Amino acid sequence: MRVSLISALAGFVLALVPVTGEAPALAGDTPAPKDAYLYIGWPNDGEIVRNRRFRVWFGLRNFGIAPSGIKKKNTGHHHLIIDAPLPPLDEEIPADKNHLHFGAGQSEAIIELAPGKHTLQLIMGDHDHVPHNPPIISKKITITVR
Amino acid sequence: MIKNALSAALAVVLGAGVAFAGNTPAPKNSEVYIIWPKDGQVIHGGKFWLRMGNRGAGMAPAGVKKDNTGHHHLIIDAPLPPFDEEIPADKNHLHFGGGQTEVRIELPPGKHTLQLLMGDHEHVPHNPPLFSKRITVTVPK
Repeated sequence: MRVSLISALAGFVLALVPVTGEAPALAGDTPAPKDAYLYIGWPNDGEIVRNRRFRVWFGLRNFGIAPSGIKKKNTGHHHLIIDAPLPPLDEEIPADKNHLHFGAGQSEAIIELAPGKHTLQLIMGDHDHVPHNPPIISKKITITVR
Repeated sequence: MIKNALSAALAVVLGAGVAFAGNTPAPKNSEVYIIWPKDGQVIHGGKFWLRMGNRGAGMAPAGVKKDNTGHHHLIIDAPLPPFDEEIPADKNHLHFGGGQTEVRIELPPGKHTLQLLMGDHEHVPHNPPLFSKRITVTVPK
């Protein structure tokens, strides 16, 4: 009885393995180094921005930029997520007013936001605009536009 | 007659000017600058992340030929190299052919100059060349 309980338990644990095995599906197919670091250089978290039009600096360490469509190891291009949660990490990043693509290889951008609170977050996309594995994501910051 | 002589002279001057840059047209309205450190910055320990700034152009790894792109080169303690040939690759001229926009630098004590110069897919400056202001930093002993 006890043995069957243990084997049932073992079966349960084994059943968990495939679930864990599916975790990579939550990222794209393009590998990225673990020390790649993405951050918003400006504005700072909590910044009060006194102009509706302002420049956002994309900070990136231990990784490089390539325009979209270019497949090269350890490169990708920036995507800025405005007032939206992270998109699914295993498919193409949407392109709309909440998800700005910088497929020309830009490392900064001028954006214009309405007065109020806004969130900003960066995510790298590969040549096909799909996040890397592991995904390279910045901290999500909140700013106030006056 | 005078007009013709003038335009001929102008053509010669312009023609000569073109030779001092590469063949890749520079992205319009672009500017290269060093975000950090600032000119005159004192850097204790001499170790820092240098942030490369670029407006109006995009990054592309070396070897990738695409309009309005290039890659950064950092010139340390050296003057600007010739604009019509490949930027040297040595300890005074660092290439960022991986499309990087930041680099960890370590400088010995003393005064140092830093300047950025964009290179095209073949490491040759654009026409007109895109380079930053040359800044000076000091690492205390």
